[in-house]
Amino acid sequence: MNKGLTTGLIAFGSLTYLILTGVPIRLAQAALPVLAVLAALFFSLMLRRQGRESSSSELLASGLTAGVVAGLLTTAEVWLFSSLLGNGIKVQPIFDKIVPLNMAALLGVRAGAIIKGEVALGQYALIAIYLAAAGLAGSLLVLFTRSGAAARLRGVRIPGGRWLTIVLPFVLFAYIYYLGLSGVTAFGNNRNIVRLLIVLVATGTGLFALRAAQEGLVQLVTGALLAAALLSLPFILNQFQNSVMSIVFIFVMMGLGLNIVVGYAGLLDLGYVAFFAIGAYVYAFVSAPFSSPYISSLLAGMGISPDAPLLGYWSAIPLAIITAAIGGILLGIPVLRLRGDYLAIVTLGFGEIIRLFLLNLDELTNGPRGLLRIAQPTIFGAAPPDLTSHLDAQGWIFLLAIFGSAVVAFVAIRLNDSRLGRAWVAMREDEDVAQATGVHLVQTKLLAFAIGAICAGLAGQLYAARQINIFPENFTLFVSIDALSLIIVGGMGSIPGVVLGALALKGLPEVLRGVDEYRIIVFAALLIVMMIVRPEGILPSARRRRELHSQLGAIPVPAPDEGPLDEEIEGGRS
Amino acid sequence: MAPLLEAKGVTKVFGGLTAVDQVDLVIERRSIASLIGPNGAGKTTFFNCMTGLYQPEEGSILFDGRPLVGQRSDQIIGLGIARTYQNIRLFKGMTVLENVLVGQHVRMKATPLGAILRTASQRAEERQTREFALELLEFVGLAGEEDILSTNLAYGDQRLLEIARALGSRPQLLLLDEPAAGMNPRETEKMMGLVHRLRDEKGITVFLIEHDMKVVMNISEKVTVLDYGKKIAEGKPAEVRANPRVVEAYLGPGVLMDAPPKAEKKGE
Repeated sequence: MNKGLTTGLIAFGSLTYLILTGVPIRLAQAALPVLAVLAALFFSLMLRRQGRESSSSELLASGLTAGVVAGLLTTAEVWLFSSLLGNGIKVQPIFDKIVPLNMAALLGVRAGAIIKGEVALGQYALIAIYLAAAGLAGSLLVLFTRSGAAARLRGVRIPGGRWLTIVLPFVLFAYIYYLGLSGVTAFGNNRNIVRLLIVLVATGTGLFALRAAQEGLVQLVTGALLAAALLSLPFILNQFQNSVMSIVFIFVMMGLGLNIVVGYAGLLDLGYVAFFAIGAYVYAFVSAPFSSPYISSLLAGMGISPDAPLLGYWSAIPLAIITAAIGGILLGIPVLRLRGDYLAIVTLGFGEIIRLFLLNLDELTNGPRGLLRIAQPTIFGAAPPDLTSHLDAQGWIFLLAIFGSAVVAFVAIRLNDSRLGRAWVAMREDEDVAQATGVHLVQTKLLAFAIGAICAGLAGQLYAARQINIFPENFTLFVSIDALSLIIVGGMGSIPGVVLGALALKGLPEVLRGVDEYRIIVFAALLIVMMIVRPEGILPSARRRRELHSQLGAIPVPAPDEGPLDEEIEGGRS
Repeated sequence: MAPLLEAKGVTKVFGGLTAVDQVDLVIERRSIASLIGPNGAGKTTFFNCMTGLYQPEEGSILFDGRPLVGQRSDQIIGLGIARTYQNIRLFKGMTVLENVLVGQHVRMKATPLGAILRTASQRAEERQTREFALELLEFVGLAGEEDILSTNLAYGDQRLLEIARALGSRPQLLLLDEPAAGMNPRETEKMMGLVHRLRDEKGITVFLIEHDMKVVMNISEKVTVLDYGKKIAEGKPAEVRANPRVVEAYLGPGVLMDAPPKAEKKGE
């Protein structure tokens, strides 16, 4: 009961937040049902822990209490706001989203009814009823999972399920082709968005298909077919879909690099955007020298015309790699002795320093005005839109991003299963023991930072080519947070997980354009739910899966009977 | 032939506490030596000074004629001193095999570039490393457990795995910090056999800290006793056992050494 009360109060607080930020306006008529479903899921999450020790009736009582408390309070709140609005009292100066439309969406009436103050009492009661039902539904959900029915459902083996998983992405890819045919009118105006959604889902299910294929010939064939399907996408998608997919795969490149630093070596780097920015700006300096006052005057002084690019995309790659690696090492050296939280704070600062440099080194970077007209990657001396009509500029970047991701993934896989990869994991597990086992900490850490930085630098270079014009505000802290979140959601240390995370966190928001302004809320909620329900991520690495598995069937280890005093004095570092 | 290890006047101070005080110690080649003493006597601190985890304030340690003081722990393992830990410190998220592979890190040469390109020499080295790891697991009696997560091993087996990991670096001197702690009599018996085999079959010198007097008296050729950081006795097991200062340190002043050796365990 007590738990129910607290849960109800927290739910009320969250609902108030959603109402104050104007979420119901977006959801229109669906506002109340959607909020009720969210509330039900929230209740079940909160009551889950209580579920283990209490009886069914206690659980139902808690759920109902939570629902009723949240329902009554929310109803009272909506009534209060509605009557204020109905009496012509303006609350907008304080709560800018409290408008008749907002209340009307919640109450399921027209906005006019709010202004005139003509809302039936029953409409208010509906809110309370919905939320009370949500409370019951939440506790029923907990009962359901507890009863073992859910576990049994999960245990059911669909005959041929493995083959279904393998075939599914190909069906979806075929459907993408079908939607692209000229005569197809399905989904009307939304066809673009629906097709993009299916592209994202098809790529995501492809990852599951690869896993389901296990090893041997089946996996080889599945992998080859999936690669072919993916590589054909840039040629058949339109400019909008290609531009979304190119940013997704640029983030895959970045995510794979960050995965080496955070997932393998366990170094929490929050300033990862710095290397992304370094890659982008280095490429901009050499391919658009005229837009940097300092570089163009320098070149003019040397008798070189700054109007033409100094280096092309391909010849700039070594430069981007070297510069990013140096950046990684320069960041690495001062933080060698830091661990965990301290490391996170310092790297966070480093990311911001680089952005502020870009913003304020006016002469070199053109400050907030940015560097403009960055050269496109060419092939045989021309950019593909000029070579073939089947590939637009964004598709070309998408194609390069797929190749870049493949190269980075290859390097990550090879390194993970090597002397260096094992040293990284050992260092993550126990730094002192790793060193006493012969791991050279300075070298190993700096290699992690440098290799991670190189991946981000290459992603940044491609990003600059994609954007054509780059500005310091492209490289805020949010890029680092996005890259880190996609690793966490996908599954730390797992390469398919990174791809899945990028599809979900960089691709889906584009599909959900409608809720784009609430992206951060959705993001936060998603992360919190993930951490509670599936802390290892959607597609965890084999190692993490094993660790989780081990907790279920662990052999109890008796505590060693060693002297506590000895531990304190001598094992001080243990 | 010069002794394998020679420590002179080693002193380690923590704030106002002198944990190790002017300790001299000699370890002969291919011997099994023990370091004993009541809790807080400075035994593990002395181990830490030998392996580079701590830097002693005074004194010198020569290993095979080379100075150890001032070296980092990853350099010392390269010289040929490996160790285990009192409170087992395996890489918990790694499998049994991976733990032993990491143990061989210092003897491997592969570069990151070699690993990316998977050069012939890198592949050959990986194969040899794997084979040697399996051989070591077989040696300590963990064959067949390669793919288990190390934290899932039974307690006694975790101690064996720590030894296998240490052996990966092909040490000349192996330091064991309470190898038999928390083990049942049967496991202790097995551990004692392993220590003998380490010396007899692999030619490794073993230096161990142990509280179980049965183990100490049985396997050591030389016993050194520390109390409050100072060396109070040294010699053959029987001599040390009869030394009144040792009895006093363990059981308090005025008690005679007629209690069975097991009584020591209770004192912890």
